[in-house]
Amino acid sequence: MSAPIVRVTGLKKYFGRLEVLKGINLDVQSREVVCLIGRSGSGKSTMLRCINFLEEPSEGEIEIHGLKIPAGGKGKEHQKLVHEARLLTGMVFQDFNLFPHMSILENVMEAPVIVKGMDRAKAKEIAEMNLARVGMLFKKDEYPNRISGGQKQRVAIARALAMQPMVMLFDEPTSALDPELIGEVLEVMKGLAKEGTTMLVVTHEMGFAREVADRIIVMNEGQLIEEGTPKEILDHPKQKQTQALLDRYRSADK
Amino acid sequence: MEIFRKKQADGSLSHVELLYQLQQRKQMQFRANVAISWIFLLLILYVLFSGDSLGLGAIQLDTDFIKENFTFIAQGVGDTLYISFLSIVLAIILALLAALGRLSTFPPFYALSTFYVSLMRGTPLYLQIFFFFLALPQIIPWWAQVPGLWAGVLALGMNYGAYMSETFRAGISSVGKGQREAAIALGMTNGQMMRRIVLPQALRFAIPPMGNDFIAMTKDSAMVAATGFVHELMWRATRVGRTNLRNLEALIMAAFFYWIMTLILTAIQSRIEARLGKGDR
Repeated sequence: MSAPIVRVTGLKKYFGRLEVLKGINLDVQSREVVCLIGRSGSGKSTMLRCINFLEEPSEGEIEIHGLKIPAGGKGKEHQKLVHEARLLTGMVFQDFNLFPHMSILENVMEAPVIVKGMDRAKAKEIAEMNLARVGMLFKKDEYPNRISGGQKQRVAIARALAMQPMVMLFDEPTSALDPELIGEVLEVMKGLAKEGTTMLVVTHEMGFAREVADRIIVMNEGQLIEEGTPKEILDHPKQKQTQALLDRYRSADK
Repeated sequence: MEIFRKKQADGSLSHVELLYQLQQRKQMQFRANVAISWIFLLLILYVLFSGDSLGLGAIQLDTDFIKENFTFIAQGVGDTLYISFLSIVLAIILALLAALGRLSTFPPFYALSTFYVSLMRGTPLYLQIFFFFLALPQIIPWWAQVPGLWAGVLALGMNYGAYMSETFRAGISSVGKGQREAAIALGMTNGQMMRRIVLPQALRFAIPPMGNDFIAMTKDSAMVAATGFVHELMWRATRVGRTNLRNLEALIMAAFFYWIMTLILTAIQSRIEARLGKGDR
């Protein structure tokens, strides 16, 4: 197998004395879709946020597309590595975080122009292409407060894609949405998966995980307790915590 | 709005449309009543100061003096606005720096910011104007001839900057953590995040209170007259008032100009606010 896009080795994270991540090892291969499930508070989001250093890891190493960044680094050199890692990852947040003072198009153009120094014409072209990919080109001149939550999230996905990252990180992208708006966002994500986008998705949407994931990883109390294909995990879980988690989802669905 | 326009099949007004019209009529009536009351209050003020001409006035004013000196005092409006404008520009720059200092984790910068704000808020503006007037020529010897206006601008700018830094700080803090994280995740540096994402949103938040500060400043600029070297409204009023022993007339005229200026600035301010409100909040 070729080198992974994301490799997490021995990742630990402490908040004060609380050990939130207890030594995590994880690989995500190119073009792979990995769904991360687990109860709230199990450390899924923290792990995702450690990958692009929104949370500074306490121990271990993050490797993205061959770029190795050990935990606990300090100084200019470390900052530079972190910056490069962020350019290789695209992040989609639970609550969208679109920039309210910019139009939809400007939201998507902003980082290519400001961070990469791309000229505006080229950035506009890329922005429009990515807006079209998520079906939001028709709203490009609107401002974020004029569109629905589902539409906001689709724009946020386009904004991340416009930086042409090696891997997309999704942090519960549908958890803040009204139920009737979840579908459109999941559709966009399915489309990305089909195009071969490498994705690491923290989610509670079991239907999505079953349909799209190549691999599901179950997290519990800061550890990865089980992983496998959707069939293995969802239909024949080995761990009793996984079974309990799935039962919880099923009863919530009823 | 379409719903209000839709006529019913028989041409009569729909229930919704009737309600809408009723509300509009009520609002117009309210505005008309307010306007009438304003005119009445202005009339009282006029009668109070009308002097001999109506035979009712409580306060006797020398109308000839007013006519003679009207242009002389009016010429101060320009300087008053000029001082206020320079001062507010200085205040905005200082307020921004002080707000950033206040949010900084670098101790000397934080200390400088809190020290400046504390000092400027802890002493009277009137005193500060004199202080700069007296101190500047000693600090910068070749400036001995200049200071009147600049002492005033420095004092006003630094004083208002200290107060406005709180507004800016609130504006910067009002921009959520999610906005910063989104910017950082996209690869922006702290500086880029501040310039492109946080400050534009903070400024939008700070513009209405800044308008208030500017309006307040046009009147506080009257204190600059105290140094005796800036020929703005207040200086001109006191000067002609004193030489002709018509202090009350002169001050009323200055008050008139200040009020008119404030009315105009308030109108401009509400227009700007209306435009901001339409935006994207």
